[in-house]
Amino acid sequence: MQEHFAFSQLFYYDTSMRKYTAIAKAQVQRGLTYRFTIFMYRVGELAEMVVLIMMWTAIYGDQSVIKGFTLNEMVTYILAGGFVHALVRNFLADVIATDIKDGNLSLFLVKPMGYLEYIFSREVGRMSVPTAFSALSLVVVALLFWDSIIFSDDVMILALFFAMIALAFVIELLLSFLVGLIAFWTDEVNGLHLTIERLKKFLSGGYFPLSLLPVWFVNVSLLFPFAYSFYVPAQLYLGKMDATTGLHGILVQIIWIVLLYGIIQFVWRRGLRKYEGVGI
Amino acid sequence: MAVIQVNNLSKSYEFYRREEGVLGSVKSFFFRKKQYAQAVKSISFSVEEGELVGFLGPNGAGKTTTLKMLSGILYPMSGTVQVLGFTPWRREKEYQKQFALVTGQKNQLLRDLPAMESFILNKEIYGISDTEFHATIDELVELLGVRDVLDIQVRKLSLGQRMKCELIAALLHKPKVLLLDEPTIGLDVVAQKNIRDFLKKYNKEKKTTIVLTSHYMEDIKELCSRVVIINMGSIIYDGALDALVKKYDPYKVLTVTFNNSGVARAAVEKFGTVTEYDPYRCVIKVPRSEARQRAAALLSSDLPVDDILIDEVAIDDVIREIFNQR
Repeated sequence: MQEHFAFSQLFYYDTSMRKYTAIAKAQVQRGLTYRFTIFMYRVGELAEMVVLIMMWTAIYGDQSVIKGFTLNEMVTYILAGGFVHALVRNFLADVIATDIKDGNLSLFLVKPMGYLEYIFSREVGRMSVPTAFSALSLVVVALLFWDSIIFSDDVMILALFFAMIALAFVIELLLSFLVGLIAFWTDEVNGLHLTIERLKKFLSGGYFPLSLLPVWFVNVSLLFPFAYSFYVPAQLYLGKMDATTGLHGILVQIIWIVLLYGIIQFVWRRGLRKYEGVGI
Repeated sequence: MAVIQVNNLSKSYEFYRREEGVLGSVKSFFFRKKQYAQAVKSISFSVEEGELVGFLGPNGAGKTTTLKMLSGILYPMSGTVQVLGFTPWRREKEYQKQFALVTGQKNQLLRDLPAMESFILNKEIYGISDTEFHATIDELVELLGVRDVLDIQVRKLSLGQRMKCELIAALLHKPKVLLLDEPTIGLDVVAQKNIRDFLKKYNKEKKTTIVLTSHYMEDIKELCSRVVIINMGSIIYDGALDALVKKYDPYKVLTVTFNNSGVARAAVEKFGTVTEYDPYRCVIKVPRSEARQRAAALLSSDLPVDDILIDEVAIDDVIREIFNQR
């Protein structure tokens, strides 16, 4: 009985959406308060994309194709992947770890609201402002490299592309949540978090397309959720993967979501027993 | 039936000791000795509806730990708690909609937004209707006098204004039980008084059951007819504040003023323990039962007595005494 209630604090089923939209709205407003920071983040992102594109342009030199990628495809890969990445990434692990460490979690535990659903609504709201900026900055980069970009008009592929983004958003969120929960046991999670971030960037194809690596490696990485936050959607978009592979990928994502949610439930329940709510 | 019923409640915290210096740190990196500190030792008490009870005790006495268990943040090691018929750490929605926790140290308001946004958030979280929401806000804002700060970023508010907004946020859903953890900490005297006056009035009008912790004697003196004193995890007193003085302090205080050329210390010492001495003004502690006789004896002596005041020992001193004894 007791266990059951501890779990429901993670996620309260609620038929009314207003609670969630209110949380999201508050974050949108917060986002608008910090226009400058968000703008500067975008500048950094933009610069990174431009540098990557310039680097690949230099590597290609007079070669027209590297490992099956033309330069235009490579540029599109970077832009499409960058777009997906900007949509799905989050900074939640630290938020959650801090909530636990500093005892802010207490304020959620006493309210009729699940912490995970709070975090989820909060993140949807938080990302909306930066996403709008990202879309804008992407247009700027796109204009710079207009001639190099490949545009897709395949509706099926685009639908898969966006479905994959939505699922990847959930996966990234659950992953960060899980990493953050480790703060129940150890006071800081930064080291682990940074390591996972680097690994994720590599495994997701954020540094370069995974297909530059051996086939077995690509196949293994398709079993992990990371590739679906960058490499797979970008490849789908480029038409280098077909709809079947895309659907297969979505199935893998769903399995990961279920798996991660189960692990989070378990960890959450154990963690709350350790929680001391310091600072109040 | 009691609104809050606590029976034999205990809680320990885990902690590690670390030897000083780098070597100590390295050692404790490999070998850590787990130790337990018992924060609350088998305490029992109950609170009736509409009561305003003060928890008093030094830092680390177990006041906050008890409040945390009442609000369901912590699981106890043993013992039972029933608040409004619920076991708090099960964190049932029905319970959470009927109580509120306000802490002076941790704020629930979103710092980067005006307080109004946090109120709206709570409105949705607690499922408060529009009309009810506006009526409650209007009333509370009026009572606390913060109408003109609701649209200012919370982090730009003064501590006093912020605390008042915290109270509003916590009271929007009209909780039946209000738990306050040091609500006046760090506030200036005026703001402290504002908050005290508000709590007093609110408790009287709404019959809300309030449990508050504080280090400030003023808070307890002003607000609470009943005080629970906790020290080192145990309840050492539970009852009316004035009865505490009689129970724990067998003395009264005579403040005697002299005229003419004053008196020598030795001359007054035979009437009781002299705690303050000045040739023209002495404070003498005397046994409670003999206070009258001693005062009469002083008057009829050949000392140049101008005036005598018989007083209770200051409550702060009584409590300090109690804490020192343990």
